[in-house]
Amino acid sequence: MKKELIELRVNGRLHELAVEPNAVLLDVLRQELQLTGSKRACDDSSCGACTVLLDGVAMMSCTMLAISCEGQEITTIEGVSEHGSLAAIQKAYGDWGGAQCGFCTPGFIMTVKSLLAENPDPSEADVRAALSSNLCRCTGYNQMYDAIRSAIKAEREGSAVTK
Amino acid sequence: MSLPPFKVLRPRSIDEAVGYLEKHVANIRVLAGGTDLIPSMRQRLFSPEYVLDLSGVAAMRGVRPQSDGGVEIGSLTTLRVIENSGFLRQHYPVLAEAAATVASPVLRNMGTIGGNICLDTRCLWYNQSLTWRKGCGFCIKKDGDLCHVAPGGTKCWAAFSGDTPPALLCLNTEIEIAGPSGVRRIPLQDFYTGLGDSYRKLQANELVTRVFLPASSADYRGVYRKLRVRGSIDYPLAGVAVVMRHSSNGHSIGHIADVRIGITAVNPAPLLVKGATDLLAGKEMNDLLAEAAGDLAAKTAKPLTTSALTPEYRSEMIRVFTKRAVLAAAGMN
Ligand SMILES: Cc1cc2nc3c(=O)[nH]c(=O)nc-3n(C[C@H](O)[C@H](O)[C@H](O)COP(=O)(O)OP(=O)(O)OC[C@H]3O[C@@H](n4cnc5c(N)ncnc54)[C@H](O)[C@@H]3O)c2cc1C
Ligand code: FES
Ligand code: FES
Repeated sequence: MKKELIELRVNGRLHELAVEPNAVLLDVLRQELQLTGSKRACDDSSCGACTVLLDGVAMMSCTMLAISCEGQEITTIEGVSEHGSLAAIQKAYGDWGGAQCGFCTPGFIMTVKSLLAENPDPSEADVRAALSSNLCRCTGYNQMYDAIRSAIKAEREGSAVTK
Repeated sequence: MSLPPFKVLRPRSIDEAVGYLEKHVANIRVLAGGTDLIPSMRQRLFSPEYVLDLSGVAAMRGVRPQSDGGVEIGSLTTLRVIENSGFLRQHYPVLAEAAATVASPVLRNMGTIGGNICLDTRCLWYNQSLTWRKGCGFCIKKDGDLCHVAPGGTKCWAAFSGDTPPALLCLNTEIEIAGPSGVRRIPLQDFYTGLGDSYRKLQANELVTRVFLPASSADYRGVYRKLRVRGSIDYPLAGVAVVMRHSSNGHSIGHIADVRIGITAVNPAPLLVKGATDLLAGKEMNDLLAEAAGDLAAKTAKPLTTSALTPEYRSEMIRVFTKRAVLAAAGMN
């Protein structure tokens, strides 16, 4: 199949890429750009392990064509850390045991980022509703809620996440 | 599993989009949010030569209240925008509520109202990988001539499983369709055929461009109830929408002036329950009347074994949800 030349802006960097028209964004991120943080788990558009942000909004990178993403700002889990150190939500996930095998974690964190961008002070119900887009097959979800709650608190108070 | 090979066309306007459809009419598929089409292409339910990516057609997005009190919604408007629209939540609450139950929040960031209206019908024997379908025997809807759901039958029973169409039917919605010979506007009710395989009346060179909610259905109370296995992500296995208006009677709620009930996921088309208005209009709501509405809706539902839950259960839940929904719409839950 004839490849097409496209420009993708990922984590603030512009990449010029030749992609097959039927390539999904997830495969281009993982295989062309070696950004392997976003995962493929279900392959039927239901688990959220592949979640990335497009112009700040959470979307499933396994269910969109890379070619359709031209002109949008793509953020992956690799673009979440701040000035080389872990973002509050990443640190909190570690501290509270929000990840077990960790396969679902990048997707969950991107969903949380998109929630907090829209609503910096979500209620417990808002957090639970937002997280219903993602599936985890290891942990209870409670450690994740604990982590998210402490990250929100830290962000609000401008303090470091502490457990 | 990767997608089948295809070329992508990216129009910027409706005219350009229709031009592409006309040119490649034999082998083209429309891509809106892609949340139905992309999983289906992965399963090789569709292997088009061209995919028409509408995402660049800005004119097809947006919720635009009209001066007469109605509203026009561009078909590319995402379900997220619809569930969060203050205007729709206030004046057409049943639509905002139904939109908010579709799939998951992230899928609603992607999925569009046009895609929800045009959504392919679903069946346990159809929404499966190529290998799975080959192993079990291809069915009428795709590549074969037998039906696993009604063995010996020649009709396809795949169930229409979109959440917003029953709400839209209750609101007397019309849709605009653009094609090579211009635009036409039809009641949504006339869009569905009632067949599981060729389920919609849309030519391969046509697009759904706009959705119109008339002023005459604004400000009805609305309720949507949905049966699914999990509380998120899952498609409906039965769904009931109700809109209701009461006669104004000073400050207390009066008798029912008008009512409509729509059901989904239990037939090859979303349907309005016939006789609902005759049964309920002019009366005051009570438990017996709500029971009767439930029985009527359950008679309209004809679920078969197209999904993980039994037809008996889905039919019973149509009865129960209708009863609860009419009570809730009358402020009595
Ligand atoms: C895991 C999962 C769960 C889901 N759960 C639900 C659910 O609970 N309820 C529900 O209703 N849906 C559900 N869906 C389906 C889907 O997300 C929604 O129905 C969504 O609204 C589809 O819109 P889209 O823009 O993504 O459609 P697309 O996939 O882009 O299109 C769907 C179909 O409509 C055609 N089409 C789209 N737009 C137009 C147009 N403007 N003109 C002509 N043809 C058009 C396409 O060619 C295709 O055949 C689910 C999907 C997934 C993957
Ligand atoms: S891999 Fe994308 S949703 Fe599961
Ligand atoms: S931590 Fe293993 S799937 Fe979530």
